[in-house]
Amino acid sequence: MSETAAAGVQPAWRSAPGAGAEAARGGPDARRLLQLMLAGIWLLDGVLQYQAFMFSKGFSDMLAGTASGNPGVVASPINWNATLVEHHLVLLNAVFATIQVLLGIGIAWRPTVRVALAASVAWALGVWWFGEGLGMVLTGDASPVNGAPGAVILYALLAVLLWPSDRGSPASPAPFTAARAVGAPLARALWLVLWLSLAYFALLPGNRAPQALNGMIAGMESGEPGWLAALDRGAASLVAHQGLAASIVLAIALVIVAAGVYLPSPAARGTLVLAIVVAAVIWVFGEAFGGIIAGGATDPNSGPLLALLALTYWPARAPGRAASAFERTTAS
Amino acid sequence: MIPSWILDVFAAIMLVVAAVSAGRLVAARPWQRGARRAALADIDVAHLLMAIAMAGTLVAGLWTLPGGAWEAVFGVMTAWFAYRVVLDAQVSGVRALAGGHCAPHLTHAAAMLYMFAAVSAPAAHGSGGMGGAMSGMGTLELPSLAFVFALALVGYSIWDLDQLSGPGTSGYYSLAVARAAPADPVLAGVGAMTAGAGAMAGMGATTLSPAAGAAVAAEPVAEPAGIAQVPPASGPADGTGVLAPWVATGCRIAMGITMAFMLVIMI
Repeated sequence: MSETAAAGVQPAWRSAPGAGAEAARGGPDARRLLQLMLAGIWLLDGVLQYQAFMFSKGFSDMLAGTASGNPGVVASPINWNATLVEHHLVLLNAVFATIQVLLGIGIAWRPTVRVALAASVAWALGVWWFGEGLGMVLTGDASPVNGAPGAVILYALLAVLLWPSDRGSPASPAPFTAARAVGAPLARALWLVLWLSLAYFALLPGNRAPQALNGMIAGMESGEPGWLAALDRGAASLVAHQGLAASIVLAIALVIVAAGVYLPSPAARGTLVLAIVVAAVIWVFGEAFGGIIAGGATDPNSGPLLALLALTYWPARAPGRAASAFERTTAS
Repeated sequence: MIPSWILDVFAAIMLVVAAVSAGRLVAARPWQRGARRAALADIDVAHLLMAIAMAGTLVAGLWTLPGGAWEAVFGVMTAWFAYRVVLDAQVSGVRALAGGHCAPHLTHAAAMLYMFAAVSAPAAHGSGGMGGAMSGMGTLELPSLAFVFALALVGYSIWDLDQLSGPGTSGYYSLAVARAAPADPVLAGVGAMTAGAGAMAGMGATTLSPAAGAAVAAEPVAEPAGIAQVPPASGPADGTGVLAPWVATGCRIAMGITMAFMLVIMI
């Protein structure tokens, strides 16, 4: 699928020259696949929002809980929103769920991809504030292991990076998918800020305490199926009383990942693989798949989004090599 | 507790899907067109049965068969689509699991089987079967499996939406070409499936023999090239009106999202 097809302008088989070898050979391009993954996560979010728990007072209490520890200017609107939701719980939650389902459908439906991506940025920013308390980044409690800097802000970032526009040209194509929309320098800077901030959060006093990581992981056991609870118990015991060492190791890994996008392609690929591994470890052990299997989760949390983000920075194949591979395929 | 009107809305969507699927079966008249054409009706039969079952699970008043009967129905359906996927895989390898024609239907059927087999019904409503279970917010055994099914269903729905809203190179579910039908729908389906499988794997040179493909192609599909206008006097021709490929795909998307919704709220 070409860029133009992803934007819903015209079919890929009529796409303009220079759309790349992938378009020429008919496969969906990398950005469209990543957009579809983002759409899938939005759709899953919407479905999760229909759970019975979300129609109970527990949901508005959960929203109000994110005000705790935040500065007054942040907390006051959160409390106002939580009160509003409490008073109109069924209606507002149904609207929230439906909006998220529509965002997923809108991104997957090519003619509406731009509208849906733009709306998803606005929605994600709103939820980041009113639903996640800015990911608790201002409270000193944020940790990359439990979802900092707030899963939903990653949706907004992905929507921007996957925006269907091209800053590259056939002569000098973007070096990776995220660079196509915003340019390589800004895309790299965003990556650097994100992963360095995660490294910083990993080293906060509350996260490097001897039992901090242990408590965080063990706390995810409740309500999980036996196999996942056992995994959590094993991981928690591994880091018992090792909070400082574990935090330092994690922070080093996160710094390496942060710097990776400035390295030559082979090394960058290695650091992106590291990023995906870190995201997977966080998702399985720190976030227990977002708590979805235990019920009552609003989203799959940050793990899948960090992995998806890493894929948007995967170095593109050189056009010459892609064309050669295509020619070999068609010749065989 | 989920408000009943939300369940009613999803049930209503399922009733529409059931009606559309029944309409497709009536319009296609597979019983008049020989065994090969009859075999192609399996998708619509599956959609019809699944939609009725799901409507009944969402709203107790629409309950039709006991849970055990639905388990048997979806057991047979799962076996049938598994057989079709195996045939598909013999032609296009593991690609059949990701982008093959029958893999989504296998997933849908297996998810339904799981839902009826794994539900633990509270006695609150006493109506038996899944209707009572859902109204009383029954939960599913092996919730990890529900999560996996929900992910797969969401994935297929998103993929279908993408394919439905743009022809890509295959024209697989293109709205733009849905009003024209190929001269031989079965063979056209092979071609489209070939291109679709290639697109999934990022390869454009997949090959597929017509004979093998005919065994696995289920929905007639129009392609940008080689299409023929439907003769106006031929009655409800394949690929037009309610028989258009995008109608079946639309039904599948609606069912996939509804099924994922049901699995998630029963975790």
